[in-house]
Parts: sequence; structure tokens; C-alpha cells
Amino acid sequence: MAIIEVSHVTKEFRLGQMHSLKETFRNGLARLRNKPAEQRPLFKALDDIDFKVEQGEVLGIIGHNGAGKSTLLKLLAGISRPTRGTVSVRGRVAPLIEVGAGLVPDLTGRENIYLNATILGMKRAEIRQKFDDIVSFAELESFIDTPVKRYSSGMQVRLAFSIATAVDSEILIIDEVLAVGDLAFQRKCFDRMEDLIRRKTSTVLLVSHNLRQVERLCSRVLLFESGKLLEDGPAKRVCDSFYQRLDNKILKTRASAVRHGRYVESGDIELLECHILDDAGSPTERISHGNDLVVRARFRVHQPLPNPIFGIGFHTTDFVYLSTSHSVGHLELPQLEPGHHEVVCRFARVPLLPGVYSVRVGVAFGTHVVPSFYGENLAHFQIVTNRINRAWDSAVNEGFFALDTSWSIGPRDALASGSDGRLKCA
Amino acid sequence: MITAIRSIVSYRELILALAWKTIAVRYKQAYLGIAWAIIKPLTLMAIFSLLRSIVGIDTGTVPYAVLTFAALLPWLLFQEAAAEGVRSIVGNAHLIKKIYFPREVFPLTAVATKLVEFGINYAILLAMMSYYGIFPSTQALWVPLLVLYVVLISLTIALAGAALNVYYRDVGAAMPLVLNMLMYASPVIYPLALVQDKLLVKHAGGDWSSVLYTLYTANPMAGLIDAFQRVMLRGQPPDLHAMAPGMILVAIAFPISYLLFKRAESWFADVI
Repeated sequence: MAIIEVSHVTKEFRLGQMHSLKETFRNGLARLRNKPAEQRPLFKALDDIDFKVEQGEVLGIIGHNGAGKSTLLKLLAGISRPTRGTVSVRGRVAPLIEVGAGLVPDLTGRENIYLNATILGMKRAEIRQKFDDIVSFAELESFIDTPVKRYSSGMQVRLAFSIATAVDSEILIIDEVLAVGDLAFQRKCFDRMEDLIRRKTSTVLLVSHNLRQVERLCSRVLLFESGKLLEDGPAKRVCDSFYQRLDNKILKTRASAVRHGRYVESGDIELLECHILDDAGSPTERISHGNDLVVRARFRVHQPLPNPIFGIGFHTTDFVYLSTSHSVGHLELPQLEPGHHEVVCRFARVPLLPGVYSVRVGVAFGTHVVPSFYGENLAHFQIVTNRINRAWDSAVNEGFFALDTSWSIGPRDALASGSDGRLKCA
Repeated sequence: MITAIRSIVSYRELILALAWKTIAVRYKQAYLGIAWAIIKPLTLMAIFSLLRSIVGIDTGTVPYAVLTFAALLPWLLFQEAAAEGVRSIVGNAHLIKKIYFPREVFPLTAVATKLVEFGINYAILLAMMSYYGIFPSTQALWVPLLVLYVVLISLTIALAGAALNVYYRDVGAAMPLVLNMLMYASPVIYPLALVQDKLLVKHAGGDWSSVLYTLYTANPMAGLIDAFQRVMLRGQPPDLHAMAPGMILVAIAFPISYLLFKRAESWFADVI
């Protein structure tokens, strides 16, 4: 029998503020007279969600911010109730949704352990038995009788995490935000979470933005978007699909966002438009990895500019500059006359790895190279690949370029000539 | 109602831990510490004694100071438990939004906290009584029952009030004012005997006297405070005639209050 059953669950929230007394009164009157009362718009945080989880399953839940993951967890933990549909959970849920909610600054670490463990549902005898573990995991042995308000924020989250993960339960909800503190402690947190998951005694729901972790640990993954359950299936398939959506979303938000990044104009020259073109010369936002890419920029020139130099470069959406290409040596022009001009630059066999990138453009003139125009984030494009190869799926994890390489493999003797069987150091 | 009692039993460790936390936090960084719990009734007693020296209130054989202190004990237990109970849900919003356990744990914790302070003040009352040479008779065995009754009265206000306060904070803001007014409508400064004398003997309200008296005793605290003074100071059993209207009111209002709380409970986390 399924340990968690979520059937046709919808959760709605009313948008906007509380009614004023006058409105409440007027609406109440309208309802009494069987007339439609004025309603605030509803927001569907979860929309007809339906799934089951079997005993011992390790289930990943992924989705963008605001996809409904936290709302779902609240329903499962019994904190709030669905507007429609039913949620049935058989067994004790350990509410690891967020740590530190119950820490009381005025109490000592020891007192907080007893209080918070009780809040999380542990019995006194159980706490006493696990007390030393909790303290040593949090690395707070020498501070345990100090009020928590004197702790550093790192110490506080360590204590909270340590208490939260000491709870035994049939259903464990693990939120990625649980991994806290400095790098060394984060490593410990992840190890403990993975340890909890691997013990396989409990059913685990793992909410995470770390797709690699989800893919490694979970057998099944649910993908949420805007309150809808988009996909439910094997970890790899759902994660692949999420990567695809993630890049699409970055592309969209970047394109629609107000221009970020530096933008400097001298007034001599004005950028009218900047486009990415494909092989055929039509504007696009998608280039296949290894294909040619063309950047076309149109300018209006107000003043004659002697010896103009153009520069075009690529950067990531978080402004890591990846490349710059100058027109010096390619375009020799004594003077750029006032009027409209079009600059086209072709990048052959773009080596960028799949991901979303932006274009920056600069113009300078004269023998002293006086800057006249500079803009970042002017156009966006996504590098895609047909090859299903996980190593290439995200530039964020794998770097940005595929370098032109040649490989060989053979017996070691063939490579190191004159070998006597031992490693030689030069 | 049975589920309510069961949840109290199974969550007693949590209620105790939370009550202990409230008390510990309140007094931890205060120089006078727990002494603050007795400063309030003693101050009020002093003020009332001063007032009485001007107005003149007949208290019979019992010294006024002891009589009013004995009235302040159940009254402050009720007033503070109710006020704190009403605030308890909103005040614990951070827990409500993160963790589930039956929400009545919070109002119950508020009451439990005040019971501790009541216990301390009860010891002070015993000390005062021995100073004046008053010794409790076997009638004092009524005290646990009377305290349970105060708890019920407090919870009647705390449960419904806490639920409403989640939706309309006006309730929490109005509560201290309303309770303060209610104190003057309860025999705290003056004894109930005075009211009985005015209404039942002298018929100060004319034809309406007995109705007014019933209305007065419909305030459950009126009969209760009198009963507490009787069993502690006079060695008399509680005046059930004075307590009956209030008891009927509580018997009707408490289940309604509890059901209201349980119905509102599941939306606390969304609205708070």
C-alpha cells in the first residue's frame, strides 16, 4: 500500500489584502440576498496534483522557485490543507522543511536541544540517548552551555541541522536548503543526508536544486512548474527535461529583462539593433554546438569617426567574459561617415558548450583608440546539442568551451621509449 | 472532546517543554527573575488597600488585604491565561508555519505557564493567611476543582480568541482592555457579599434586582472568585447558587469555542 497518496490536490490562495470591514459587510449582505459577492482573484499554488509514493522510495522533487514544491511539502507535513482533493500520509513525517524555526536565543544550546527535539516529536528518553551525537555533529561541545544568542550564525544553523536530522521517522522530507554553514560543514550535511537516504529504512522526499544530487540519490523524480506536475518518472529522464527547460527560462528572462550590464554611449554613434543570425542569415536565438554563428549590429553614426575599431565578445548571463574579437586587421577603414552602417561578424564552428550566452559590443576610434560605445547583454543565444551526452548538458558544471583535442591510447611501453619498467621522472 | 483530552496526554511533554521555555525566557535575563510573578498581585493588592481606606468596603471578619489577594489569584490566572492564550497562535507563527502538531498545544501552553505563577502566588497567600492567623479548613480541598474551572473559563476565551486573532488582529488588541473592564464586573476589589446585599437584600435595582444578580453571576469569574475566597478564607463550601449561571454559560460556550478553534486550525498556516 502506498505510504503517501496525493489525489487531485489543488491548493488555492486568495491574492491581495484582507477585506476592509465595509467590504466584508457588503459581501455578507450580498450573500444573504443570494447575489454574487465580490471575490478576490484566486492563485493556484498547486493544480490537480496526483501521485503515490511507495514505502522505501526515494523521491526527488524539482522545479523552479514558486513551482509549488514548498506548498506540497506543507500539505504532506500536515501544516496546511488542500483546497480540493485529499492527501493521505501513513506514518510519522519528520518536518525537516526548514531548520532553526524553533531556536530560542535566550536559552543555552543544551536547553535548545531538548526544546527543539521535543517540538520535532522526540521523547525525552530518546533525546537523552542522542544528545551527545547531536552535540558532536554540530561541533559545539565547548559552547553547549552558552546561550544561543551568543552563537555565530554558522553555529546556530549547525545546531539546528544537527537536531533536525536526529529525528527518526517513517517519512523524511529533506530540503536542500538544509545544507548550511561553511563548505566543510556543508559536506558533512550532504553526507548525513545521503546516509539517511541510503539506510533505506524510511521513505524520503528530497527537494533540491542540485540536479546531480537528485539524479544520483533518487529513483524517481517529480518535476513541478507553476503548480502543475509536469513530469513524473525515472530520475534521469526528468532531470534531462528539466535542464532543457532551465536554459529556456534563462533565455526568456534575460531577453525580457531590463537591460542589465554596462551600457555607455558617447553620442557619436548609436546602436540600433544587435542580432544573432544562423547559417542561413535569419535571426535566431538557438545555435547548434559546432555550427557557425553570425552577429549583426546596426549603428547610426552622428559624427564622422576616424579609424573605427569594433569589438564583439561573448559573456555568460552572470557576466563572466568568455571571449573578445576585434576588427583590427580585418576591417581597415580610414573614416566612418555619418549615416546607417551594418557590422557583421562570423564566428566559425562556435566551440561554446550548451548553455545560454550574451553578446557585448564595443566601438572605439582614432589612433588613440577612444571608446565611443560599449554595451553588454545586447543579444542572447542558446547553444544546443543533439547529442545526448550528460557531460555536455550544462555549461555551468562543465565549463564553457570544447577545445579541439586529439587523443590516443596504447601500451605504456610504446609511449615511453627505452623504459626499464619504472616510472621516470625528468 | 475525547480527542482533545487524548492530544493533551500525548503532547504533554511538548506542552511542558514549551511552558518551561516561556517561563525560562521571561525570567532568564531579569535580575528579579521569577519574583516578577508575585510583584503584580502584591502591587495590585497594595493599590486596592489604599483605595479601600478611602472608599470603605465592608469585608466582615477577614482582613481586606488577604481577601483581595485571594481574589486576585484566580482573577490574574484567568486574565493572563486568556490574554496570553489569545496571542499564542499569532505569537508562534514561526512554528505554526513550519511544523504540525495539534494547534491547541499553544493555548494550553499559555495556561500551563500561568498555572506555575499561580502556584507561586498560592504559596504567598498561605504565608499571608498564617500571618493573619487564618488557617484553611478541609473546604480547601475544593481548590484543585476550582483551578480546573478557571482553566476551562480561560480556554473558552483563549481558543476562540486565538482563532479569531489569526484572521483579525483586533481581537488580540482589544483583549487586555475587555479583560480589564471585566475585572471591575467581578468581585475582585469588593466581595460578592456586597453585591448580594445590594441586589438581593436591599433590592437596589427595584424589580430588576434578581435579573441583574443573575446577569452579574453569569460572569463565571464572579461565582468562582467568591468560591475561592470562601473555601480558602472562611472555611465555607462554594456558593453554588452564585456559580450556577456562570457554569451553564461555560458549559455551552466551551464546546463552541473548541469547535471553532478546530475548524479554523487547518487554515492558520495559510492566513497567519
